[in-house]
Amino acid sequence: MRISVTRSGGFAGIERQAALDTNGRPDAFHLHGLARDALAAGEAAPPRGVPDGFQYTITVDGRTVHCADPQLTQAQRELVRTILKEGS
Amino acid sequence: MTARSLRARLPCMTHTSHAPVFCTIIPPHVLDKIARNEDQALADPARRTLEQDAALRTRRRLATVSAIGPVPAGAPSDLPNRTVYDAKHRTDLPGKKVRPEGHNPVKDITVNRAYDGLGATFELYLKAYNRHSIDDSGMPLIASVHYDEGYNNAFWNGEQMVFGDGDGEIFNDFTISLDVIGHELTHGVTYHTANLEYFSQSGALNESLSDVFGSLVKQYALQQTADQADWLIGAGLLAPRVTGVALRSMKAPGTAYDDDVLGKDPQPATMEHYVHTGRDNGGVHINSGIPNHAFYLVAEALGGHAWEKAGQIWYDTLTGGELGPNADFAAFAALTVASARARYGDGDEHKAVLDAWGQVGVPAAESAPESVPESA
Repeated sequence: MRISVTRSGGFAGIERQAALDTNGRPDAFHLHGLARDALAAGEAAPPRGVPDGFQYTITVDGRTVHCADPQLTQAQRELVRTILKEGS
Repeated sequence: MTARSLRARLPCMTHTSHAPVFCTIIPPHVLDKIARNEDQALADPARRTLEQDAALRTRRRLATVSAIGPVPAGAPSDLPNRTVYDAKHRTDLPGKKVRPEGHNPVKDITVNRAYDGLGATFELYLKAYNRHSIDDSGMPLIASVHYDEGYNNAFWNGEQMVFGDGDGEIFNDFTISLDVIGHELTHGVTYHTANLEYFSQSGALNESLSDVFGSLVKQYALQQTADQADWLIGAGLLAPRVTGVALRSMKAPGTAYDDDVLGKDPQPATMEHYVHTGRDNGGVHINSGIPNHAFYLVAEALGGHAWEKAGQIWYDTLTGGELGPNADFAAFAALTVASARARYGDGDEHKAVLDAWGQVGVPAAESAPESVPESA
């Protein structure tokens, strides 16, 4: 499963992008669960969010959803954090 | 010590006052000596600072004297009502109450900085514009610190401020920058007034107003003139390893940082370089550089304290009732021209505003019905 995340907005307005492939990872099963939950809770279009909040797009094997601070679900939050930290 | 470095410092105000505690290095007795110096450039700022401190102490004492009488019912207070919470690295808000209004400074300096920053913002709006808190009705000022883990951001959630700690790699603790605090609270002011839509040009205006008044909060706290101000947003936020001076520059948009991780400051200074993007709500943090720069140009042209004339014109525009939620740059510019004329007549102020918008490439035809429209 290929998961990519784009984070934009925020006070600094600086964009970050990262992606990772779960193939062969020891936490693949866990990440698959997070991805599934994140997609289910995501929006089809970028929500307006709050001033200076981060905006996120999450793409899982070609399917993209959007979410924004501070309304992320736990799954979205953990998924985004993991991909941005460990992806490239 | 030069006059300039002295002006950059203020004495530590009593913690019971809502005046900010910034650059708290020089004790009153040292200021006293300087205030008597023959060199007016040194004596004046010291004297002013001592007067300000004394006035605040006196006001605080008077407020507790019953002879003054009760505040008339319905009149908002001249004092802020602040509460700072600790989100304890979770994302539930507001978190644990750690410093209510009037409470002594606590061990956690992040809490104290947020508290002081809320006070400094309250102070600018009250003293410069007679605005009583964000909604001009004494709304309580709430901030939560330590939001999430290594969270590289601060935001306004519609009701309160939320601060992350930064990750230490790219950003420091977001309470470090007074203009950040002023910026966030100004989102609340905008919400209660023009309520500019947070998207595209109206969103960039919303962002710019937060940078303008955020910067003015800092300038007011330091009693800086327009030429003394650095016109930087988030100057203290960048971690040591980042190549840059701030997150944004109103004086020179696009020059604040150029770093291998962060990238380059993408802000334009003129409409010619307006950035069309779907990200960041249509580039609201990017294109804010254009109206930011217009404000800087007005402030620089008029000189003196930027909150007095330039800030007043911008404040009049924001709160005058004619700025709509979907205003674009041209509509905003026209209103600033009209505001300048309404308040100051046909003089330097009006001209400075017209010139500024001309320089950034925004047509600022005045839309007042009884006047002939002028094009920039």
